[in-house]
Amino acid sequence: MTVSTNIAPLQFSSKYTAMWRGALAISPLSIAVIPWGILAGSFAIEVGLSPLESQTMSAIVFAGAAQLVALGMIKAGIGVFGILLTTLLITSRHFLYSMALRRDISPLPTRWRLLLGFLLTDELFAIVATDNSQRHKFDRWYALGAGLCFYISWNIATLLGVVAGKNIPNIEQWGLDFAIAATFIALIIPLIKNKSILISVLVSLVSSVSCVLLNIEAGLLISAILGMACGTVHEKLKGESA
Amino acid sequence: MIWLIIVGMASLVFISRYVFLEPKLPLRLSHNTQRFLSYSAPAVLTAILAPIVLVRENTLAISFDNNYLIGAVIACLLAYFTRNTLLTALVSMGVFFFIL
Repeated sequence: MTVSTNIAPLQFSSKYTAMWRGALAISPLSIAVIPWGILAGSFAIEVGLSPLESQTMSAIVFAGAAQLVALGMIKAGIGVFGILLTTLLITSRHFLYSMALRRDISPLPTRWRLLLGFLLTDELFAIVATDNSQRHKFDRWYALGAGLCFYISWNIATLLGVVAGKNIPNIEQWGLDFAIAATFIALIIPLIKNKSILISVLVSLVSSVSCVLLNIEAGLLISAILGMACGTVHEKLKGESA
Repeated sequence: MIWLIIVGMASLVFISRYVFLEPKLPLRLSHNTQRFLSYSAPAVLTAILAPIVLVRENTLAISFDNNYLIGAVIACLLAYFTRNTLLTALVSMGVFFFIL
């Protein structure tokens, strides 16, 4: 007890700094997600959900792509089973994220695991996994700051959509998805430190674009795994070290 | 009905995010699996961003008419030379929204 009281002020300030650093790192993505959040809120109202249901969806599901697709399916009159099956397909990439972060997060106390697990979106993975590769250490406060910042942004955006209702025109065409592309590029480029990583990026790029053009549903996951496999194989063949 | 969908979705999404973070799950990641997973960040992020940049209206758009592509090239150059994530994101967004 004495020891922890003694170092408390220092811990507090470093926690606070780490959370702030995380929030700042994810801020471009928190902005990029705003139109999607507004869309999730207004589309839910349009489909016929109550304001409470619409907001709760963003508050507890917290998965943009899955929510928008599910709302479309509700509108089309598709049943619960079909919607949940589709959700599972869309959300399956998160298995990969939790596996990749297992080494860092599984030793943490239960409340940390549950909290960071709940907050583990594409965007949080992007920020945390790239920070790890750069610094070779995992900072739970950094992850929490980033995760909470993104969660708040998503829910405020949804609230705006719920309040505005169905009067939001063409919000998908604002071009804010460029912010996602720009931020991800900024995160990926410094990671490309050897040929194996470059190969995994190029394979994933060609594959993901091909899958979209060919309308292959699980293209994201297929391409990611293909890129990872090619990177690993190249590393083994060339004896390249990390 | 709607509540069932919401709670069902929340459960599935949470399970997919949490399951491998659970230490009681009997799974030991081998050295090779760890190496494989070390490529997850660059590979997944590329798979998300590449279609945003290169596919417009369901066709491959490699041309000067594609603002996303020009913006992305600028972002690549900025990221390469500055190594600063936030600066790269903000400057390339500024160029994309106000110039392109």
